[in-house]
Amino acid sequence: MFRHFVNGILKENPVLVLAIGLCPTLAVSTSAYNALGMGVAVIFVLTMSNLIVSAARKVIPQNLRIPIFIIIISTFVTITDYVMKAYLPELAKNLGVFVPLIVVNCIILGRAEGFAYKHSVPAALLDGLGSGIGFTLVIFIIGSIREILGAGTWMSIPGGFEGFKVFGEGFLNYPVLFMILPPGGFLVIAFLMALSRKLTGEA
Amino acid sequence: MLVSSSPHIRTKETIESVMYAVVLALMPALLGAIYFFGLRALFLTALAVISAVLTEYIYQKITRRPITALDGSAIVTGILLAFNIPVNSPWWLPVVGSFFAILIVKQLFGGLGYNIFNPALAGRAFLMASWPSIMTGRWSAPIRPAGSTMSGIDVVTSATPLGVLKYHATPEVVAKLNSGPMLKALFIGNTGGCLGETSALLLLLGAIFLLIKGIIDWRISLGYIGSVFVLTGIFYLFGITRANPLFHILSGGVMLGGLFMATDMVTSPVTPLGRWIFAIGGGVIAVLIRIWGGYPEGVSYSILLMNMVTPLLDRLTIPKRFGEVKK
Amino acid sequence: MDLFLLFLAAFLVNNIVLLRFLGLCPFFGVSSKLETAIGMSMAVIFVMTLSSIITWLLYNYILVPLHLVYLRTATFILVIASLVQFTELFLKKSAPALYKALGIFLPLITTNCAILGVAFLNIDYGHSIIQTIVYAIGVALGFMLALVLMAGIRERIEFAPIPKPFKGLPIAFILASLMALAFLGFVGLFGLSL
Repeated sequence: MFRHFVNGILKENPVLVLAIGLCPTLAVSTSAYNALGMGVAVIFVLTMSNLIVSAARKVIPQNLRIPIFIIIISTFVTITDYVMKAYLPELAKNLGVFVPLIVVNCIILGRAEGFAYKHSVPAALLDGLGSGIGFTLVIFIIGSIREILGAGTWMSIPGGFEGFKVFGEGFLNYPVLFMILPPGGFLVIAFLMALSRKLTGEA
Repeated sequence: MLVSSSPHIRTKETIESVMYAVVLALMPALLGAIYFFGLRALFLTALAVISAVLTEYIYQKITRRPITALDGSAIVTGILLAFNIPVNSPWWLPVVGSFFAILIVKQLFGGLGYNIFNPALAGRAFLMASWPSIMTGRWSAPIRPAGSTMSGIDVVTSATPLGVLKYHATPEVVAKLNSGPMLKALFIGNTGGCLGETSALLLLLGAIFLLIKGIIDWRISLGYIGSVFVLTGIFYLFGITRANPLFHILSGGVMLGGLFMATDMVTSPVTPLGRWIFAIGGGVIAVLIRIWGGYPEGVSYSILLMNMVTPLLDRLTIPKRFGEVKK
Repeated sequence: MDLFLLFLAAFLVNNIVLLRFLGLCPFFGVSSKLETAIGMSMAVIFVMTLSSIITWLLYNYILVPLHLVYLRTATFILVIASLVQFTELFLKKSAPALYKALGIFLPLITTNCAILGVAFLNIDYGHSIIQTIVYAIGVALGFMLALVLMAGIRERIEFAPIPKPFKGLPIAFILASLMALAFLGFVGLFGLSL
């Protein structure tokens, strides 16, 4: 059972192994909080679209399914976008164009097509939650690494909590800014990819 | 010419003789740095070299590869990295920079001969991205400054001559920058700047030795420094830059970059035509960044950017031999 | 001059792949061979420009007057998906040579989030139609620059003794990291920020 869980995270991890959903993973992982925000948004959209696709799977015609999936997904993306802008404007600003772009996150269409369209509502719901949490875990880990090294804090929230100080004052004065810049994102993913290969015994 | 095809020199003896020749060629500039900036220059250089060699050794030990940490190439990277930081840097700066240069830029790509980017320059860019305040703000004036040439420029916030040109260029200051004593100071090396880049004279001395030995290609050095000279000359005539072309080639990292970094045989093109394009492209980008960019100096970025183009330049300029089948 | 700066920002200073993280799937997916990288870039230049113009017109002349702005996400993605299909059909019929060169890349473009991203950004930035065209072309050429450089380097390192866990995708990410690092040199060019 545990092995199964590990495999889900490592061997079939969408971001690290299949290299899908890369753009949001890199773009919004400059801090743990931003990453978590994106993760929760994806969990919501993924679960809801799985739910609706599965519930309506008997009435969605085979040849029109992809456009219909896209409409369903984009509905929830639009809801997320508007809700976030209204209640978490700071977060919405940080995530920017990547909130509406959740609509092209391959993971979501992939689960709708590959799972929800063929399974019952409870199964689709669990699948959506599970895949969403898997994605969130990776993006949150990347966001945490980048924030801890690049800013010296963890879970700082703009305009709110100033974050846990991980390394103390000396480091806070000279954090590795590189890590929260674009090249740092690529570097962290590269090392996580290599690590997951090492752990699964693929290399 | 020593270099013939792309993944260059392989045999142990040639690598070592070439690398230690480069180390030797960098010695005048290192001695100059110690003279101009004090013993701390030696201390930082030693730290950078030790960090580079140790990183390579430990990596090769862990991955069970043949140990080549003392083939001289890591020493060259360490010295060049130290030459690219200001003398008042904290001690850990060269250590971290060398670590990044050797591990990420060189060894992950397969080690010497396979790296795409010049390790020392990428290491410098990493330091620049991470700690810009140390890399640009805390430069230190030489302990033997060039007399009155820089007086009239605020000593407390005074930056490198290039920084002065970019941020504090009042007419009197510009007149001083273009003056004979200033150019002489830049040539000798008793001006502010990164610790190994200031002395055009001592860098040229080492480079001539390497040119005679055929280790660096005059085309790259001439193309790089020459294009900076010509372009800034044209811009000077049109009033786009207020410093004369001599100031431009003697200041900042143009000499160090054009003589010792752009000429790195692993990361520059193989063919003469490719080298000309590489060098001139680099010079043009450096001037572009100096004049319109966000930093006072663009040498290191210009060479890194051209390093990326090197595989394409090789591909476009290597003549197809008769009977060669395209894979 | 403003248009030139807009172009330069899109092309270099805010390079879409290396510094804005859009279009990463094709960037890593089709960059192992130079020829395919060039083909993909051509298809992206074509589709991105066209889709930017169409989505801009649609948004400003239909969605805004009819108060249907909230349908932006849904309409844009459907428009782009159908546009790609039409382009494919059109090229197949009227320009078979071009179709042969770009055909296989067109279906892949639907998954290129840079196309949709640029359509959104044109609206978010409040671009005029001229600015939209300049911006789209700048972004697409920037995509091409990054992709072609990447492909050239990946061909070279194909046979390098890269440590095993890093072979393939991870080393491509390390490369992207160092390329992005070098591109940071353009930050501040003409006062353009990241």
